[in-house]
Amino acid sequence: MTASCIAVPDGRRLADMAHVIRSKNAGPTQLTIDIFLIDAAAYAVAAASAALSCAAIAQRYGVAEQQVQRHLLADICAIKFVLPRAVLAGSPGDGDVYGAQQHAPFLDIRP
Amino acid sequence: MSATNRLLQSHRPGEGPLRVLAASGQLGYGIAEAAFRRGMARRPHVIGCDMGSIDPGPYYLGAGVMAAPEAMVERDLELVLSAACDAAIPLIIGSAGTAGAGPHLDATVAIVRRIAERLGLRLRLATVRSDIGPAEVASALAANRLEPIGAIALPDDQAIASCSHIVGQCGTETLARALALDPDVVIAGRACDTAIFATLPVMLGYPIALSLHMAKIIECTSLCCQPGGRDAMLAELTPEYFTLESMNPDAHATPSSVAAHAMYEQADPMQVDEPGGTLLLYDARYEALDSHRTRVSGARFRVRDKPSLKIEGACAVGARVVMLAGVADPGLLRVLPSAIAAVEQRVRALVAGDWLLVSHIYGQGAVRPLPPEQVATHEAGLVLEFIAPQVDVARTAAAVFKQNLLHHAYPGRLTTGGNLAFAFTPSEIDAHQAYRFVLYHVMHDAPLERLFQVDAMMLGGVAAH
Repeated sequence: MTASCIAVPDGRRLADMAHVIRSKNAGPTQLTIDIFLIDAAAYAVAAASAALSCAAIAQRYGVAEQQVQRHLLADICAIKFVLPRAVLAGSPGDGDVYGAQQHAPFLDIRP
Repeated sequence: MSATNRLLQSHRPGEGPLRVLAASGQLGYGIAEAAFRRGMARRPHVIGCDMGSIDPGPYYLGAGVMAAPEAMVERDLELVLSAACDAAIPLIIGSAGTAGAGPHLDATVAIVRRIAERLGLRLRLATVRSDIGPAEVASALAANRLEPIGAIALPDDQAIASCSHIVGQCGTETLARALALDPDVVIAGRACDTAIFATLPVMLGYPIALSLHMAKIIECTSLCCQPGGRDAMLAELTPEYFTLESMNPDAHATPSSVAAHAMYEQADPMQVDEPGGTLLLYDARYEALDSHRTRVSGARFRVRDKPSLKIEGACAVGARVVMLAGVADPGLLRVLPSAIAAVEQRVRALVAGDWLLVSHIYGQGAVRPLPPEQVATHEAGLVLEFIAPQVDVARTAAAVFKQNLLHHAYPGRLTTGGNLAFAFTPSEIDAHQAYRFVLYHVMHDAPLERLFQVDAMMLGGVAAH
């Protein structure tokens, strides 16, 4: 599938192209963000987008690019990011022990 | 003979599936009874319950207390215990009492003992003690056998010694030692979620990759379904595949919902590390059996030469007192961080001692950094933490800070009646001890047999055999 035949209009928010955008700890040192796109077309747009590159996500979360891992899971139209937590889960200074509300910066990305 | 040996002697892989019922992914918050009863009606061979996690943070491990309320833990344990005894099948509970250290295990066993005595159940219990001695961790550190998982420092000996509890996540090889004691019920301290559900299948001769993959998916019960939920989940295991079915007829295990769940809370969606090796999901196949059930196959397992163990440790940071208040004045909201800093300076001069202030300004980036245009100027919530070695110091700092912030004369102030809105008083609240994780590491070449103590005892009846 090429970008030219995809029905997703330019400029759509990721929140409108996905049925799940979630964050959660992967242990107390890491945060994992899963994005499940609504269909293969939306997945193709998102997976190819510079706005969803490791570099772009690193900038959005204020970490170094090499600290961001990205997994593309075409079979289930999903993209997973893994980031280091700024503060260990539950240590003084943490604001989100479960890491469950760290997905918000993804919602307005326009792939 | 107890329930485990009856199963081990009567079930042969290939002569009909092994039915594994996952009753709870988080025992103690109210197992949904209707779905659990439907699961029992399917005549499972074993019931498994996960009771813990590292997710609730370092407090529960450090303090040795359960996160779930004891009354609800007792209600859930009674439900699964009486069902397992009625059906004469093994019940396996892992990560006892949230964090799975000694106090959590002992508290869970005490509740099971109380239920057994109250209901007149006589059962053989096996336990796994998952506490890891600091000397074992220190010697692993000295031998370069300790590796951080993610961004956490290697501890020094002092940091290791500061941990109030250290646990290891035992795997199938350790739970097999407990099951070899022929129990009706196994209660394990900290355990891999997978071990709870995979150990008996492996002992029966089912492939370890398939058993672990099944366990990995059902350990959160119906969370792998569409819509996800907390209802009991049934897996039917054969030597070639397993079938997943929610005991809630409206929660459907679809190929995509099940495959998606394999990613959940995992840094690597294709590899799951266990003490004895790594579960590999690259070739996993998920096929719809019908609209409600999915069949899964294809996982592989790479055996590790020497076992590795995930260990967790937490230490106390001090006593925590929190102050709660709201702010609605736009003038103060524009300068709130600097006002808090100015008040802190004043309070430091008044309240001696080693106290730490952590401020959370809700509406202005307490949960995550906010772009300037999203920082609230109409209303914000303040949660100020005061942490000190002595609770009196934390209380004093909190109370003095509250009063000084209440009447702080920031530049441009119009409101001389007070800067804070309290929903109630006292607005300063003792909030237990503060803890932090010190250990979240892999111990390579771990001497599993020595580290995990396995015991058996009789409950609810006369003396042990």
